[in-house]
Amino acid sequence: MRPARRRRRASPAVIAAAFLAPALVSLLVLRIAPAAVALWESFFRESLLRGGSVFVGFENYADLFGNADFNNALLVTLVFSAVINPLQIAVSFLLAVLYTRRAAGSKIWRSLVVLPIAVPPAVSAVVWSVVYRPDGLGNSFLALLGLPSQPFLSSPQQSLASIMVLLSWIGVGYWMLFLIAGINDVPGELYEAASLDGASAWRKLRSVTFPLVRRPLAFVLVADTVSNFLVFAPVQILTKGGPSGSTNLLMYDIYTRAYTLGDLGKAQAEVIILVLLTLVVVAVQFRLLRSSDSE
Amino acid sequence: MKRKVLAATSLLAAGAMFLAGCTASPQKSVPALGNEGPGTGTVNFLGPEDPATFAPVIAAFHAKNPDITVKYSQVPFDQLNSTLQQRLGAKDETIDLYTVDQPRVSQLAAQGFLEDLSDLKDRTKAAVPEAQFSVNIYDGKMWALPIWNSTQLLFFNKKALDAAGVKYPSSDPTERKTWEELVTDAKAVQAAGTKYGLLLEQVEAYYQLQPLAESAGGGPGITGDKMLTVDITNAGWEKAMQWYSDTFSSGLSPRGVGGFQTSPLFTSGKVAYFVGGPWDVGGFSKSNIDWGIAPMPYFEGGSKVTPTGSWSWGINPASKNKAAAKKFLEFASLDPAGNLATTAATTIIPANGAATEQYLPKLEALGGNKTKGLAQLIAHENSESAKPRPVSVGYIQFEEIMGKAFADIRNGSPVNDRLKQAAQQITDAWKQL
Repeated sequence: MRPARRRRRASPAVIAAAFLAPALVSLLVLRIAPAAVALWESFFRESLLRGGSVFVGFENYADLFGNADFNNALLVTLVFSAVINPLQIAVSFLLAVLYTRRAAGSKIWRSLVVLPIAVPPAVSAVVWSVVYRPDGLGNSFLALLGLPSQPFLSSPQQSLASIMVLLSWIGVGYWMLFLIAGINDVPGELYEAASLDGASAWRKLRSVTFPLVRRPLAFVLVADTVSNFLVFAPVQILTKGGPSGSTNLLMYDIYTRAYTLGDLGKAQAEVIILVLLTLVVVAVQFRLLRSSDSE
Repeated sequence: MKRKVLAATSLLAAGAMFLAGCTASPQKSVPALGNEGPGTGTVNFLGPEDPATFAPVIAAFHAKNPDITVKYSQVPFDQLNSTLQQRLGAKDETIDLYTVDQPRVSQLAAQGFLEDLSDLKDRTKAAVPEAQFSVNIYDGKMWALPIWNSTQLLFFNKKALDAAGVKYPSSDPTERKTWEELVTDAKAVQAAGTKYGLLLEQVEAYYQLQPLAESAGGGPGITGDKMLTVDITNAGWEKAMQWYSDTFSSGLSPRGVGGFQTSPLFTSGKVAYFVGGPWDVGGFSKSNIDWGIAPMPYFEGGSKVTPTGSWSWGINPASKNKAAAKKFLEFASLDPAGNLATTAATTIIPANGAATEQYLPKLEALGGNKTKGLAQLIAHENSESAKPRPVSVGYIQFEEIMGKAFADIRNGSPVNDRLKQAAQQITDAWKQL
């Protein structure tokens, strides 16, 4: 008997699956499995004294919505997202426009804006803790301008805004990079044509630049929104959610519930709520972008 | 268009999954599976300190017991509790002995993560101060042996007091100042040009603020047979916290300065009176300012209470070499020479009474003239005014929630409302125990 000479050809689908396997397996193990575990555990309650865990159905969710601290965290997170996302994107866009102009030293300025990305968030938080101290840089600067000193992180009215400033210091440069790439892709002829038509700088920005960077802008909007839902380090290092819960973002509330209060069931329920919230907000953003696309 | 939606959906899914992966699975309490072992061989020891800290005690033990080798591994303090929860929960037998933050003894014992050491009760009671003994008892049994102890002292800046013509407080515990007197003096010093009158080192920590409430008659904040009833809305707590709040609203103490920024403020000469620990003696001695020490104050008409407690060590029930681990533990805690060796490379009070006696004069000498009377003062506080943190399985939740309440009170939240809110939060958190 001679062995069959015919070489078996694997189908393209099998080959594709083989190439995709590492990514798919890690997606399953690192992402989908923990998500499933989170959902499953959110239906249980762990008891230290009685021992073991008990199935409680949706009780963890019901308890959360009846809990003043959780409701406050939800509100703070929504306010935070509603303010910081438009703010960061607007500033990144304006900076991107500014730094794509051919001006003296614009590359140096651009690098300076991007620099904070290289600093780990925890280190940035420590740096800003010095800025926000009562006798710190922030108040020295205000004094220089003849303004009264501010409480910053120790005031419930100013703490969230102070965290937003710190995060924007890190984030704006990062998002700007994507927008600069987008702006550089806009063909120069379009600007020339607009100039010939007598368009002002503002008109060029509004009618040429803005519509043509909508794709990178959409990415930045979604990615920025998701990343701002995940803010944790500055809150943990600077305010611990205070004063009076004014900076208690959901991510930090989850951490506190899971690791300091030891209430894992409720923490997992809160994770699921945060995931759903993120999904809804981002879905709405896509809906809006799509409808403006088809116009 | 479709591709864009696909890309966005996967991005979103990735973000969502990232979120979902952020909490670990819970730990189940497990029955002990370890055994006594041969009494020789290797003891694996886990803790948050730099390896150099424990090198002297390990060397001293090895010299006496050449057939036992102690292998120490360090886990950073911030990760210690979660690491312990994970590894002990998984019945990890590669930990034989580990360091236990004293207020956590009861929870770790309830979880089944500590070996019962009750047969050493009598010897321990005889060797250490009462507060260092009782802190290791939960449910009538002893679960860990005390290694280190602590207290709090009132440090003062001599130059600042001189400028205001204010007399130095005495280091004699019988001449202990009241908080009321201290505030009067601190205001006078502040008026004479020192930036802040008073500062507590751990501004938002229960460890340092418990004595305020205790001195005002408010108790530790936890009562009941099971130590699971919160009691922080009584007159004593309200008085103490109102006083604390006032020190910040009057500008006597600075807001917005975190726990790790307080001692540099004292050594830079900006603070008149500073309440800190013996560990500050080493650091302050290296600074350029002239300072002195006095006992931690109390409220007029109230009791004299100071903080205490530090680290104990306990044995992992899943260990396969318990006998050898216990031998090392007994040496480090109950043998004065061994206990003293744990402090050879750091500035901390040993828990063992006989070791403390030998250690304190050395600590006093470290500060030279500035710390005259320190040894006698600490010995007095250890035996007379030390009040340990309450032993409760709900201590961890209690401490966390109180920390936030202290922070808010310091920043001007109305005291009564904030204490009521904290009491409610603690009650809620304890329900799931």
